Formats: sequence, structure tokens, C-alpha cells
Amino acid sequence: MRSKSSKIVALLLALAVMASLAVGCAKTPAPAPTTPAETPTTDVKAAMVTDVGGLGDKSFNDLSYAGLQRAEKELGVKIQVLESKEPTDYESNINQLATAGYSPIFAVGFLMTDTVTKVAPQFPDVNFGGIDIFFDPVDSNVIGLNFKEQEAGYLAGVVAGKLTTMTDADPRINDKKVVGFVGGMEIPPVQKFEAGFVAGVKSVNPDVQVKSVYTGSFTDAQKGIEAGKSLIEGGADIVFAAAGATGNGTAKACKDNKALFIGVDSDQYNTIDGIGDTILTSAVKRVDNAVFMTVKEAVDGTIKGGENKIFGLAEDGVGLAPYHDWDAKMPQEVKDSVDKAKADVIAGTVTVPESK
Amino acid sequence: MFSEVVTPELFASAVRLATPIALAAIGGAVCERSGVVNIAMEGLMLISAFAGVAAALLFGNAWIGVFVAVLASVLFSAIHAWASINLRADQVISGTAINILALGVTGFLMETIFGHPGTTDTVKTIKPLMDLPAGGGGVLGTIWQWVDVVFLSYTPLVYVGMFSAVFLTWAMYRTRWGLRLRALGEHPRAADTVGINVLRGRWVAVLISGFMAGLAGANLTLEQVGSFTENMTNGRGFIALAANIFGRWTPGGAYMASLLFGFADALQLKLQLFSDVIKIPPQFFLMLPYILTVIVLAGVVGRAVAPASVGKPYKEKG
Repeated sequence: MRSKSSKIVALLLALAVMASLAVGCAKTPAPAPTTPAETPTTDVKAAMVTDVGGLGDKSFNDLSYAGLQRAEKELGVKIQVLESKEPTDYESNINQLATAGYSPIFAVGFLMTDTVTKVAPQFPDVNFGGIDIFFDPVDSNVIGLNFKEQEAGYLAGVVAGKLTTMTDADPRINDKKVVGFVGGMEIPPVQKFEAGFVAGVKSVNPDVQVKSVYTGSFTDAQKGIEAGKSLIEGGADIVFAAAGATGNGTAKACKDNKALFIGVDSDQYNTIDGIGDTILTSAVKRVDNAVFMTVKEAVDGTIKGGENKIFGLAEDGVGLAPYHDWDAKMPQEVKDSVDKAKADVIAGTVTVPESK
Repeated sequence: MFSEVVTPELFASAVRLATPIALAAIGGAVCERSGVVNIAMEGLMLISAFAGVAAALLFGNAWIGVFVAVLASVLFSAIHAWASINLRADQVISGTAINILALGVTGFLMETIFGHPGTTDTVKTIKPLMDLPAGGGGVLGTIWQWVDVVFLSYTPLVYVGMFSAVFLTWAMYRTRWGLRLRALGEHPRAADTVGINVLRGRWVAVLISGFMAGLAGANLTLEQVGSFTENMTNGRGFIALAANIFGRWTPGGAYMASLLFGFADALQLKLQLFSDVIKIPPQFFLMLPYILTVIVLAGVVGRAVAPASVGKPYKEKG
């Protein structure tokens, strides 16, 4: 009796586990409506493998997909997305796409570095693009798509550094001259955002203090709240968060405690529900542009592997999102400083540091 | 600098960070005292966090969300109870299965209900129970500020956590139910011989644990964060398991241990603001709660004696 019922329960649980793992392992997006008359034809098939965040992360995965969708619409390439639920899905997903003849294949996220390095030599005819991956060494069919996060952070810093001294602009701005930064894990893209932010603040106002808190996670919204509260209590009136979903918590802390927030990666005015005029702007990474440009090179036949590309302000690879609700009340002086900083960086008269 | 670090907000932050862990850990203590290991608390918190937000968004009322969160958690803990008590499956396997199932189920329902993975829309979080006016100046004002922030500034479920820690400790050591509960975990055969229904007693304990884990998930999403993100519990259920051991399998001890974990976390978030004065990398502070957990599990802080029959399925003589 005992062993039989144990077996049954073991079987049931095993099935449950398998079912839960199978969920959303590989999702095929609905086929796009074909408009044969207008779309130029090409036999390029581009694909991407998401990080564990998956589609709907309102960040890199979605942005990469937006780049692919644009390529589908404007260049007529066939596209495919495979979602990874676990890091163990990376390799099988990439293999599956490479075997099916997709090229270029984009691996989204720093965490896929080793997988791409391992799989790429097995498919010499396929081009691989790694979002946020700096390959070292870099194979001849591999392209690293990196971003100058520090330049986006720099512009965010200019906004914060200017605005935090303008106590008349908004009642939420105090006279303490302190701004905050919340980081997720201490990995290079986040550190570059921080370094740029600090440099931006200091460039417009050397006596403004920047206080940083790292939470050690990209998915812990509760810690994001507490980190935000800690900074606000420490005098910060503007907080810039480069921390994924942890940053959503920081945004809530800013909203509840009458402080201002700067978002990251995508335009978070659109991605954080009900954020309104708590958000000033976002330091964005135009992953969509980088993906689209790479696919376009594949279509044009000019795609060249074996290099790490770095997209900055000049390449329209990073930037500052619109001010949205703040557009009307953002002091002209701040807007002018941002435009000037942007021009300086593009012209090369200002070089933004990558580390503090 | 000391007065900038040690503020009333530091302690309030510790309590807020501790509460989801504490609520789950209190339930865990009851569950393990009955002889059933509940490693599924992480999964139960995740499921209830999701169910709470989904229901609150659907009905537009956070309290309905709390109710649904607890209901979902109790239902899933019933799976654990059925598997580990009636079918005498390995309790750790059953709990692990629920943890993995929770990740998959919430991810799947996220896509079917909200149409996308990642983070849900935001619900209006539950307000603090009391909203008292700030104190005036002077010594009295400062004292009032400390009392207000450290003790009176919380949302209702935080007080439920404090109350249940006291109540369940009393119940465990001062009532007939508590004596029987402890007997189930120490020597279920002896308890059975004197006429205690072992299976029913363990079922009740597992369901109480599910109830508390449900409150933990509800506190996390409906009182604190306001939205659900996949895997947002980030191992809090496992820290709760450790807190339960640190607290020597008593609800009160589990609560105090959770407070310690919460305090370590709040302190590291605070100390990072003074990194120009204190030259210690943030990773050091981030690892403090985990070092504490390891120290506890290694038995350094006194000997932690588990209930003698915990983890062992019980078979009634038939």
C-alpha cells in the first residue's frame, strides 16, 4: 500500500513539475500579417533567444524584439523568438535556431556570454549577436552589441544635478543638494550607468552629493522600496535606479515619499503603471536600434563578425527618454544643459568615464 | 554619523523587511512542531503574492486580494499535506515540487491573465493602520517620533505578524492543542496511543502554515510593493525556514530571528549611504543575512534541537 501510493504521488508531482517547466519554454509569436506587395523580399531569417526575463519584461527582451519586428516590417525578414525560462534553456534554444537556419541570432543578455562562445564555433555560417555581451576573444561569426550606458547615465546626471538645486521648480525638491542612485547587481552595465550619472551630476554642480545603494538583485521590488526610502531619508530628492524590477519598488518609494525618479533601459514612464509626474525621464538603451542595424547589415550583405560594437549617443544607441508630464515644467535651463551635454559628448569634447 | 544611521526609519525598515519572512516562519514553526517539514513556504508565498494581486486588480479591493491570497496558499499547502501526511511521500520532495510548481504556475497564469510575463499592473497598496500626526519639537517630540515610526507606522498585516507570534507561542506552550501539537512532532506513536488523531493534527498544522505563508505573500505585494513580479520572493521562504530553526521551532523565536535578518538587511541598505566614510564594499553588507543563516544552520548559536519526529511520515496502525 505504502509503496504504491508513494509511487502515485511521486508520478503526479513529477508530472506537475514537468508541466510547469514546459510552460512557455518556446513560444512562437503569432505570424505577422503578410503584405507581399510592399515588403521587400529577402531570405534572411533573424531570431532571438530571450534571457530568463522573457518577452514582456518591458526592457531588453522586449526592446530586442521591437528591433526584430521593425526589421520584419521594413526589410521583410522572417523572425522568430525563443524564450528561456531557465539558464539551462539558453543552449538548446540557440542550437534549435541555428539548426533551423536562422542568422543572425541574437542572444539577449550578459548571462548568455558563455553559451554563445561555446555554440558559435559549431555553426560557422551563422552570425551570432550578443546583446550586452563583450566577447573576449571574439569569434569571426560573433558580434558583441554593447552600449555606452555611461553616456545615458551622464545625461540623467545632468538633469538631476541641475534640478536638485532648483527648489522653486517643484515642492518635492529640497535644499540638501543630494541625489541618489539605486543599483541592482554590481555588474558592468549598472556600474557604467552609475559612473556616468555621477559624472553628469558633478559636471553641472560639483557640490551636489551622489549617494549609491546596491540591492544585489534585479527582481526584488521590496528591497527597491527600502533602498529608495533609505536614500530619501538621507536627503535625496531625485533617485536614479538602474535595477530592473527592483527599480519599480524604488519608483514607488519616490512616489509615496514625495521624491522624484529617473528610470532606466526603456522609457519607464510607459512601463511603470501610474508613475505620472514622479518620473523625470529615463536613461534608455536603444537595443532595438542596435538589433535593427545588425539585421539590416545582414540583409545588405555587409554584416561582419569578429568584433564588439559599442553603441553610444553618437550612434543613437543610448539616450534620454522624453520628459512626458514634466515637459511643461522642466526649467529651460535644465533642457539646455542636457542638449549641450549631449552635443559635447557626440562631438567628443567630453569623455564620460566608465567607472567611478 | 551615528545619529544619521540609527534613525527610527532604520528600525521601521527592519520590521517591514522582516515581516514577510516572519509571517512565513511563524507558520513554519507550527508546521514543523507537528512533524512536517514545510520547505514549500517559498512557493506558497509566491503563489499567494500572485493570487493576491490578480484578485485585487480584478475586484478593485486589496482586502479581497488578501483573502484570495490566503485561500490560494492554503489550497496549495493542502497538496503538501495530502502528499506528505496521507500518502507519506518524502516531505522535502513534496515541498520542492510545490516550489517549482509555483514558479511555473505563476509564470503561466501571468501570461494567460495579463497577456505578458514580467510585472503586473499596480494595485493601490493597503494603508498603514494608524496615521498619526507628527510630533512637535523638543525631547517629547523626538520621543514621539521614535514611538510613532518604530511601533505605530505599519500596515495591518505587520501587526497580525506580531500578534500571531505572541498568540501562537502562548498556544503552543499553554494550551491543550499546543501540547498535543508538540507531541505529534516528538513521538507521534505515543500521541496516537493516548487517542490523539495524528493525521488530523498534522493536517491542521500544515494548513496553518499555508495560512501564514499566504499572509506573507499578501504583505509583500498588497501592503508593500503593489505589483507582482515573477520570482519576486527571492528566497524569502528559505530564509523563513532558517529563521524558524534560528528561533528553535517556536513562533516567538522565529519572529525574533526574522527581525534579525530584516535588521541586517535594513542596516546594509543604510550603511551603503556612508560608503565614503566606511570603506567596506556593499557586498559585505549584502552577505550579512546569509552569513547569519549559515552560522545558525551550523549550530554555532547554541544547539538547535529539532522535534524528534520531524520529517518522518506517520503510519497509523491499521
